[in-house]
Amino acid sequence: MERERFEQMAIDYFREALAETDKQELELFLKEHPDHAMELEQLRDVWAQMDAMVVPETSEEMDARFFGFLNTEVEKTQKVAKKPTAGFLDVLGSLWRPRWAYGFLLLAVGVAAGYFLGPKEEPQSLEPLVADTNETEEVREQLVLTLLDQPSANKRLQAVTEATKMNKATESVIEALFATLNKDPNVNVRLAAVESLSRYVENPLVRMGLIQSITQQESPLVQIALADLMVALQEEESVNSMRQLLKKPNLDTTVSKKIKESINQII
Amino acid sequence: MNEQTRPNLESLTDNFLMGKVKAGEVDKMGLLYERHKKRLFGFFYRMNGSVSLSEDLVQNVFERMLKYRHTFTGQGSFVAWMFTTARNVNYDYHKKRQRQQTEREWSTMEYKMEANDDIEGSMEGNEDKHLLKLALDRLGGEKREVLVLSKLRELKFSEVGQILGCSEGAAKVKAHRALKDLRTIFMQLQTQ
Repeated sequence: MERERFEQMAIDYFREALAETDKQELELFLKEHPDHAMELEQLRDVWAQMDAMVVPETSEEMDARFFGFLNTEVEKTQKVAKKPTAGFLDVLGSLWRPRWAYGFLLLAVGVAAGYFLGPKEEPQSLEPLVADTNETEEVREQLVLTLLDQPSANKRLQAVTEATKMNKATESVIEALFATLNKDPNVNVRLAAVESLSRYVENPLVRMGLIQSITQQESPLVQIALADLMVALQEEESVNSMRQLLKKPNLDTTVSKKIKESINQII
Repeated sequence: MNEQTRPNLESLTDNFLMGKVKAGEVDKMGLLYERHKKRLFGFFYRMNGSVSLSEDLVQNVFERMLKYRHTFTGQGSFVAWMFTTARNVNYDYHKKRQRQQTEREWSTMEYKMEANDDIEGSMEGNEDKHLLKLALDRLGGEKREVLVLSKLRELKFSEVGQILGCSEGAAKVKAHRALKDLRTIFMQLQTQ
């Protein structure tokens, strides 16, 4: 066996990526060449010791910086995407000059005639567009579910923001948002979850979940946000939950006052 | 999750997501960041030994991938493309730093101490780990790089070769020789 062949096989051996036939070939070679066998053993020790080197965890600041950068880039892209429309309108505007008016009128007549006299067909190009939108929604859903599961509050906040961008939230996303609303340790994330869920209040299960969440909240800010939402929805079934909340011994006085006002506004 | 909402697995691959980023859906980069930030951070940390520097370089990689997204062809693996970018980012950083270094020769240990990441402190009570880290630092950039890349299980060796700009076989030979040099330095440090 050539020296280079041995070196290549040794690396595969360390990575546990050596094919069975190659492994047999190497073992046979090592039996006949004890110096190479010793080299392999020595290097295997160093290779294994490299695994013991600890890599620290990344910080929340790194995530915050990245997502701040990404949001700016997304906004930039959206602005650029809007520009061609403005350019098109400028071109249209220039067409309204008197010297073009006659030609434009003729073109409009032609288009109108084509539209009314031409064969009636169903548009066929919508399907790929709908499929693409669905695909984007699926990826967004995965992003939301992944980010909601992260230990960083910034990321969970990002997840809730992503959830509000969805055209229609799936059952999994709704469940994850409720888990966030009821269990997330960060008040800002819970408040964002209220806002996000308020987009789906036409769903009776979402309304019921929000009502049930009232008694589970400890933060005055979230309690007030939910009370405001119930008033806006004129949700009579929330009255019982709010009355239960009033019975809590350590309820903030401002919240207590707000809840009483809200009950009066609903009844 | 019901059948209707179950995502198509193909739509979640790195290459698919990067394709979407290339097509203008820049927000998809968020998912790629979540997937790969740890291994990228690990790469830079093993290369440079500084937490703050490694975090900066991870950010640089994603900024650069976004800037040059038009160059992503989708033919190779996204991970290989990402690590090629990471390698360039690391190289550019050191090149720039070397230019700035006028009074004395730059060494990786210096900025580690500037960054105050207390690497040595974390090694207390484990002399071998500390010596191995020191040996890796003294090994030199290119050899260290081939070893760090070889340790990444996500990368096939053909991809390591692609990142290093050589054949798979040549990359393995480089890795073997770098490992041998690492052991020599390690042994020297142990006897000092």
